[in-house]
Amino acid sequence: MGLAFDLLLAGGLLGLALQVVASRGLFRSVVLFIALGLLMALAWARLAAPDLALAEAAIGAGLTGALLLSAYRALQPAEEAADPGPAALPRWGALAAAVLSGALVAALGWAALGLEAPAASAGREALARLGESGVKSPLTGVLLGFRAIDTLAEVVVLLVAFLGARVVAEPLQRAGPGPSAPGSGEPVLTAPLLRLVVPMGVIVAGYLLWSGGHQPGGAFQAGAVLAALGVLLRLTGRLQPAAATSPAERLALVGGIVLFSAIGLAGAGTASAVLAYPEAWAYPLILAIETGLAVAIALPLTLLFSGSAGLRWRER
Amino acid sequence: MAELGALSLPLAFFLPLLTALAAFLLGARQAPWLAGIGALATVAAVADAVRRVAAHGPQAYHLGGWAPPLGVELYADGLAALMLAMTAAVALAVTAYAGAYLHGQGQAAERFWPLWLVQWAALNGTFLSADLFNLYVMLELVTLTAVPLVAMAGDRASLGAAMRYLLLALIASLAYLLGVALLYGGTGTLHLREVGELAGAGGPTAVAAALVTAGLLLKAAIFPLHAWLAPAHSSAPAPASAALSALVAQAGVYLVLRLWLWAFPALLSPVVGWGLGGLGAASVLYGSLQALRQSRLKPVIAYSTVAQLGYPLLLLPLAAVPAAASQAWQGAAYFIVAHGLAKAGAFLAAGNVYYSLGHDRLAGLRGLAPELSASVLALGLAWVSLMGLPPTAGFLAKWQLLSGALAGGQWPWAVVVVLGGLLAAGYGFRVLATAHAAAPPGGPVGRPARRLPWRMAATPLLLALAVYLLGVSAVPALRLLGQGAPEALG
Repeated sequence: MGLAFDLLLAGGLLGLALQVVASRGLFRSVVLFIALGLLMALAWARLAAPDLALAEAAIGAGLTGALLLSAYRALQPAEEAADPGPAALPRWGALAAAVLSGALVAALGWAALGLEAPAASAGREALARLGESGVKSPLTGVLLGFRAIDTLAEVVVLLVAFLGARVVAEPLQRAGPGPSAPGSGEPVLTAPLLRLVVPMGVIVAGYLLWSGGHQPGGAFQAGAVLAALGVLLRLTGRLQPAAATSPAERLALVGGIVLFSAIGLAGAGTASAVLAYPEAWAYPLILAIETGLAVAIALPLTLLFSGSAGLRWRER
Repeated sequence: MAELGALSLPLAFFLPLLTALAAFLLGARQAPWLAGIGALATVAAVADAVRRVAAHGPQAYHLGGWAPPLGVELYADGLAALMLAMTAAVALAVTAYAGAYLHGQGQAAERFWPLWLVQWAALNGTFLSADLFNLYVMLELVTLTAVPLVAMAGDRASLGAAMRYLLLALIASLAYLLGVALLYGGTGTLHLREVGELAGAGGPTAVAAALVTAGLLLKAAIFPLHAWLAPAHSSAPAPASAALSALVAQAGVYLVLRLWLWAFPALLSPVVGWGLGGLGAASVLYGSLQALRQSRLKPVIAYSTVAQLGYPLLLLPLAAVPAAASQAWQGAAYFIVAHGLAKAGAFLAAGNVYYSLGHDRLAGLRGLAPELSASVLALGLAWVSLMGLPPTAGFLAKWQLLSGALAGGQWPWAVVVVLGGLLAAGYGFRVLATAHAAAPPGGPVGRPARRLPWRMAATPLLLALAVYLLGVSAVPALRLLGQGAPEALG
């Protein structure tokens, strides 16, 4: 049963990936890509990596999909004029790319199958010494404890992505999708549904954040849920794009990283080294950092989708 | 409490990062002094790290107190310290130059400062990290800050160049990451030297090394993976061009050397060494020939980067030859330093030309030497080092490479070094001759030259002078380089 399911999953992944690349219309590719992300999340779940499954579903399928759809919409007017389909590669070019990729996959497969599991590994050591990290979830232990510097830098990557998008988008002076003046034409159920979904989403994000200490969850998953709420509010016009980043938004964008760095540097005095936590304080400090990071993850993702430098609540 | 000795290692990453965050929080207009203060603090941390390495040998810092393989180690040996110091010098120049340049060109400094300072932090991280996955994260930060810097002009050409750069650099990152995953699967560790001890020379390691190297060669724009560099580096604003050519692309070359000498020495057979050296040689020749064909100043300098980045790879075929190793090693490392300083000087001088005239077409430079004398002088001085003439650091570096190649009996590399120098003289004098030529009848074409702020005129000159200082006395730098060098090379 398990094997049949895995085979189906692997076959589905390959088939979807092929369709994403080969399908004629851009829109179809985008939708199939989102489906691919969801299947990928299932694959991670089958590989007993629920954290990755959560992140893949929320960020890989959900937010990336939303970004791609919004980019597709921005391309629309150009495409309607003359729809040449995707740029056609000459036959020999496609063949060369296929042969090279095939060789790469074959080499990788051969290398991966030939690997002998090493006697000791960093992963097993991390599991064995998890108790020293101050949390009970192995993933959080690695992300915020053993390899905190990677996590810190990855959140900086998000900030840099936002800054980069602004550099490119600012001269265009155009925001992303969503109604500019919502309210009158919107379906009757939108407002009550949002009133239900948004607080629930905030609670879910809070739960994921807290649960990161002892089970799958944490800043990335919580941040993704918050970002999804941001996308929802932006699409229904509750949040409006703004041309400038407000001081509060600036603080939210960098606050988590500053807090992480400050606690990390303080570790040189209060604990054994930079990015070490004093033993008794490890858990509360990690929770504080994760809270700041969740915001620092959610806001750039929402802003990237919004295609604007900032967001403002709609005036009533 | 652990000894605070090597605290300057993490500080070299955290200080520019925190300055970047503060610059974003406050905005460039509210706090124009912020970048300068952050830069000086970073330089102080780097100076302390360098002093410690010079006095006490290689320094290691276990982040979070977790020893590898569990945690990430920052490790500064002589090579890393040399890179940190070169980066600090170039970064100081870029920081001093950028404010006036961006202001004068009407480009928004608002986004430049956080991007550039994060880039500096990530570069320091790249030179210091001894962890293969952490290196991936740092490289990713370096790349993702570099792409928007390329796009800053906002016109069609720079957006296209930035897009191409982004796509290729992301493929490179993925190739690197795949290789690292294989290495971890085989060894159970990500630590650079532990991988070197455990990986061996089996098939999976070879596949992993090939993937990692391909990714890094793309990021370093080594022939035939160079196509993205010239459009990207020549359409960025001048201070960003300087950082991209002198630091970002060189970080890729640095990592190629670092990984082959520390993580995959077992794989470095003569065939592999000759292959990688051959790619370097092809870069030298191809980049130089392209530079000769350009009709604008910045593309000339950008193609010269493609050419110059090939030289350090000539170390790899020589590293396994005992008679050649030590000299080639000193030559390659010194070359990266010399090229970084000279190239940053050249790009900033070209920025002055662009700032002053509003264009950088070679044909329009005739008769302009008087107005731009300081900048043309800086360009000329920097070029003397790129050609490899005494008394510059570029000369010493090439001399060591050349002697190594001859001592090791591998004369083709010596031919490449000499030929590359001659070609550099060709494209260098072509620019200088035009700049010093008499004005066409009726005076220089185009609008009258704009006055340069003194800071912009002085910065490239100072960088060029540094190349001469290092050319006069190489002893301190080479002694530093000896700290923690692999035994075969020391």
